[in-house]
Amino acid sequence: MKNIDKPIQFADSANDFHKLTRNTSILINDVTVSFKGKKGEFTAIKDINLEIKKGEIVSLIGHSGCGKSTLMNTISGMVSPSKGEVIANENLVKGPGPDRGIVFQNYSLLPWLSVYKNIFEAVDSVLKDKTKAEKHDIVENNLSMVNLMPHKDKLPGQLSGGMKQRVAIARAFAINPSILLLDEPFGALDALTKGSMHIELLKLWNLDNRNKTIVMVTHDIEEAIFLSDRVVVMNNGPEATIREIVDINLPRPRNKKEIAHDPEYIRVHDRLLSLLFEKLSIED
Amino acid sequence: MKSLSIKNTAVSALYFIASMAILTGLWTLISIITKNEIPGPLSTWTIFKELASEPFYDRGPNDKGIGNQLFSSLSRVFSGFGLGSIIAIPMGLLMGSSKIGMRLLNPIVQILRPVSPLAWFPLGLLAFKAAEGATVFIIAITSLWPTLINTAFGVASIPQDHKNVGKAFGFSKWKYVVKIMLPYSIPHIITGLRLSIGVAWMVIVAGEMLSGGVGIGFFVWDSWNGLSLERILVAILIIGTVGLLLDKCFNALQTVFSWESK
Repeated sequence: MKNIDKPIQFADSANDFHKLTRNTSILINDVTVSFKGKKGEFTAIKDINLEIKKGEIVSLIGHSGCGKSTLMNTISGMVSPSKGEVIANENLVKGPGPDRGIVFQNYSLLPWLSVYKNIFEAVDSVLKDKTKAEKHDIVENNLSMVNLMPHKDKLPGQLSGGMKQRVAIARAFAINPSILLLDEPFGALDALTKGSMHIELLKLWNLDNRNKTIVMVTHDIEEAIFLSDRVVVMNNGPEATIREIVDINLPRPRNKKEIAHDPEYIRVHDRLLSLLFEKLSIED
Repeated sequence: MKSLSIKNTAVSALYFIASMAILTGLWTLISIITKNEIPGPLSTWTIFKELASEPFYDRGPNDKGIGNQLFSSLSRVFSGFGLGSIIAIPMGLLMGSSKIGMRLLNPIVQILRPVSPLAWFPLGLLAFKAAEGATVFIIAITSLWPTLINTAFGVASIPQDHKNVGKAFGFSKWKYVVKIMLPYSIPHIITGLRLSIGVAWMVIVAGEMLSGGVGIGFFVWDSWNGLSLERILVAILIIGTVGLLLDKCFNALQTVFSWESK
């Protein structure tokens, strides 16, 4: 076992080194987002600057309503910044595009389409040049990657939360985007399902040679550490800003059980806790 | 499970029979109170048997069997309803999908919707120069509103989640309409159609009383002139039953097309 682990670790640190020289995948440049509400203007996030390299996994973490979803939506193009700009894959973001796959918070599957059709329609829409047979193969490959082939003809209403989430992830992967945006993807899942979904996600990322950039919104500290290269901690909104960016220097592939005893894990975990909570016990 | 559903059906049937018994009882009571000026169920039944024994006879333009009358009414209702729906569904889709469309068209809908079919009749006559066309016209124009309003409401209430799917995966306009807009709003559209067919069926009697010729409405008017209240009562029961059956048909359609219950 050790022999197998070693070379991968070497490959990994090489990979990490490579990341430093890699191209920028996402550049968030002085972004402010304000919404016009009933009580005047509301500024969700203010003057945000962030650079994300190709192949990085970055988590955005913060309390509810701190604007982490808003920040991510400026990358997806669902929200346009009131000030500043977002550059993804060297293009100015003007709206949603197929180079950025999105996994929505509430899965957002179309309830009248089967699992297969839900993915097929996305593939059909994005990969226009492929033949029908090629599209069919892509859908089936992605369904088997998330172990959902036996359920391909079911409607979303007949699936469990974890299965729906896997369909949403398979759909985002199927269009082969270079950037994957996950909005609290595992928030609605129980702890056990969540744990195996983390492994599934990293497996998919590995299969693609860790080339995909993944940005994830979460409010789960353990999840953020286990998955990410960097964790972006946000201040409470309104006018939320980035409080601190915490690097996670844990070698990959990470093991859920072993990682918990790693001194680095404990250090990072403590740091994130103290950044997110001012009071850590009732005596504080 | 199966024995349970049989039990449920049996219970529903019993309730239906009981309900009919109450109706017959009240009817008999009214008949007795009015000293048979309004005929009771028994004498009506005799006339019904007489009418039903030869439903499709044809002895000239003013003397046709009850089946002929009914079918001519139904075909008129369906042409009016069909015409109305062909106008209502696309207009509803348009209204529901654009805020500007909604704000521009909604006042027109609100003004025209409460107008009685009888008020439209002269306009129909003017436009079509014939009673037949005018009848279909008034059915169309009074029955299209529920479909229009329900379709518009359905489209306008498409959840942001579903719209986001279209945006995120770059659905074309056509794909959006076919894969998101229509499937989401079909249950609403069918609810609208169900209400519309009810209105259309209600309008037919008034329309045919004015237009004359053949039809269940004309039959009612003709029976009044012939002073046969039994025939009128038979017609009322037939109109009610057909209305109920039409509603049941659309109800069944609603179950077929509802993705929510699956």
